[in-house]
Amino acid sequence: MTRYVLSRLAGLVPTLFLIGVLVFLFVHLLPGDPARLAAGPDATPETVALVRKDLGLDRTIPQQFVRFVDGVLHWNFGRSLSTKRPVAEEIAERFMPTFWLTVWSMAWSVTFGMAIGVASAVWRNRWPDRLGMTLAVSGISFPAFALGMVLMQVFAVDLGWVPAVGNDDWRGYILPSLTLGAAVAAIMARFTRSSFVDILGEDFVRTARAKGLDERHVVIKHAMRNALIPVVTMMGLQFGFLLGGSIVVEKVFNWPGLGRLLVDAVDMRDYPVIQALVLLFSLEFIAINLVVDVLYGLINPAIRFR
Amino acid sequence: MNPLPRFAAATLAAIATAIASLVIAVPAYASKDVVFAVASTFTTTDPYDANDTLSQAMAKSFYEGLFGFDKDMKLIPVLAESYTVSPDGLTYTIKLRHGVRFQDGTDFNAEAVKVNFDRVTNPDNKLKRYGLYKIIAKTEVVDEYTARVTLKEPFSAFINDLAHPSGVMISPAALKKWGSKDIAFHPVGTGPFKFVEWRQPDYLKVEKFDGYWRKGYPKVDSITWKPVVDNNSRAALMQTGEAQFTFPVPYELAQVLKAKTDLELVAAPSIVLRYLSMNTLQKPFDDVRVREAIAYAINKEALAKVAFSGYAVPADGVVPDAVEYSVKLGPWPYDVAKAKKLLAEAGYPNGFETELWSAYNYSTAQKVAQFLQQQLQQVGIRTKITMLEAGQRVQKVESWPDPKTAPVRLYYVGWSSSTGEADWALRPLLASESWPPTLFNTAYYRNDQVDTDIKGALATTDKTEKAKLYRDAQERIWKDAPWAPLVTEELLSAHNRRLTGVYVMPDASFNFTDIDLR
Repeated sequence: MTRYVLSRLAGLVPTLFLIGVLVFLFVHLLPGDPARLAAGPDATPETVALVRKDLGLDRTIPQQFVRFVDGVLHWNFGRSLSTKRPVAEEIAERFMPTFWLTVWSMAWSVTFGMAIGVASAVWRNRWPDRLGMTLAVSGISFPAFALGMVLMQVFAVDLGWVPAVGNDDWRGYILPSLTLGAAVAAIMARFTRSSFVDILGEDFVRTARAKGLDERHVVIKHAMRNALIPVVTMMGLQFGFLLGGSIVVEKVFNWPGLGRLLVDAVDMRDYPVIQALVLLFSLEFIAINLVVDVLYGLINPAIRFR
Repeated sequence: MNPLPRFAAATLAAIATAIASLVIAVPAYASKDVVFAVASTFTTTDPYDANDTLSQAMAKSFYEGLFGFDKDMKLIPVLAESYTVSPDGLTYTIKLRHGVRFQDGTDFNAEAVKVNFDRVTNPDNKLKRYGLYKIIAKTEVVDEYTARVTLKEPFSAFINDLAHPSGVMISPAALKKWGSKDIAFHPVGTGPFKFVEWRQPDYLKVEKFDGYWRKGYPKVDSITWKPVVDNNSRAALMQTGEAQFTFPVPYELAQVLKAKTDLELVAAPSIVLRYLSMNTLQKPFDDVRVREAIAYAINKEALAKVAFSGYAVPADGVVPDAVEYSVKLGPWPYDVAKAKKLLAEAGYPNGFETELWSAYNYSTAQKVAQFLQQQLQQVGIRTKITMLEAGQRVQKVESWPDPKTAPVRLYYVGWSSSTGEADWALRPLLASESWPPTLFNTAYYRNDQVDTDIKGALATTDKTEKAKLYRDAQERIWKDAPWAPLVTEELLSAHNRRLTGVYVMPDASFNFTDIDLR
């Protein structure tokens, strides 16, 4: 197991390097001169030239790439072109709000989603199933920004139960995590249901029932662990996506997260921030995939590694 | 057997308890704290390195300059008391206010003026506002409260430049301590509030400075500047009372906020002019009859209603009213028949095809572009619309290297003459030295007499002479019609009725010297 994890971690470095090269090239291909964008429309050409020198953009592309790689190796991701603050600081400040929002959204949506999925599978084609799947479809189809705005209008403006924006205390987390979790819960519900339905039709379940085990034992103790494999995969993917910051929810609730940072950076052609963020998201996905693979082994001892 | 009801009951009970705790916990607000909900994040607290109006407006919390603008864009002395200028227009002697202290306790004097101007005019500091102050040759300390500034050439708009929100006095002690780059994270000025913290991108907080030179001010204890990008969320904050002032109010939400009894909606005149520039180097826009026809074909009153929900005024000149030395020459009449006649005379009885680009891609700009397309269609001009986002705008228009091959044709854009006087409204847009990529003359307009007028007005300090030259320039431009001037936007803001003394200025900056909360 340890050898497996270590060999996966060793594969991290070339992958990240490749991603770094690709994103560097891509970002420099985008139209628009960052120096001009940073200096503003009423800047004179001398000011633009000054800004260009300041941002290090007057060097050739290979030189800029070498500087970039050199920086990364020394854990220095450069300074943001628009705010001049170290990129590491910009990202660090926004990482925790995104992380906590992701954690809370995943917590309630996975619990809720799986509960609905299991109930729908167990009482298949009866009213819990119909209700559960209707909720799931609505959760996926209702656009996140519309849901967010409606929740804000009803609970913050009209009822005044929660603040409209803000992440100072736990109350500010409620509406955004509800909005963000809705789609995830819906996906979880459908996945769990279909995975469960498959498993419940397997022979070993029939055997367990034939042995006289009560239904609850069959479902929770035996069927669950097998059904979890595809569910855990989906959970990992969702977690990875949410960690990238949901731009829509962040916009509506003014959440100081990574999604907005990325979109603003692309808008202003803030190369160092874009590069660092893409590397970070890639690293997150790779790490999550690794954790998911390890979890497979834990859930199902039959799937173990040499 | 059905385990479902037991689970359901437990969950419902938990949810009910949670909701109850929310409703019971009521926050209490004590001192006079104000929250401003603004539309974008701040780029920096250093006005010398900012080119967005919002950051410069926010910096007014802790910074002041030698001169400033009052809420109607009239020039007023702030840290300066008076000034005299030499007859050759090169030397300005400025008398400073006594008894002013910086927020770190050091004194404000002529040395501070010198340190600040030396900093921005030093190209090694690479500050974004270098272009506005590079006209300064040197700054000298005459005595403790008198500074002398010598320019490289006469520039009669100099005092207006000093009143620009970027011309602030930063504490020399703080500059020495933090350096030119890091001062942005530790601002120290003479303004009414001291900087407390900036939690990027969440909010920026300032609190009352007890040693402020104007006794009795400020009247509130703190201001929290909160950037909230989404229009609806900003409006929600105003309705819940979490914010007491917001700008801008999107037009579609104006009615909603107007209906609330505890809020007041304010529409203020601005110096933001929206116009359609035409590339005069390319056919058919090189023919003045075609340009006039386009100006006749657009119904500006309808445009104000359709795209700006009525919060705009048809432009009556090339320079907005609130800007000094502006001359009222219009508005350009709406006459479809005349437009068709002019097009026929110019040889295009059936119109022609061309491209219409918009410099912005937010929803109001989309409405404007579609409206213009429809209006031009009526006289036979068929346009293809492209909404440019920032990077494309820079690449295709602002930085295009060769005027002869510039792809821009009809261009919908706006301009705010932030120094409040005609030089900055005319020179970067209509002087031949300002063709892209140098500055913003997207019409590639050239009129030698206009160039001479603009240069001449800068060189003289005689106000009547300036007024005469600017009038001549504007009249010639109006006749040549390189643009179809469209509207002057009104700036829509909303504030809680308990809040007084906060105004949006015509240049979209804020004036909050008299801020108070009941």
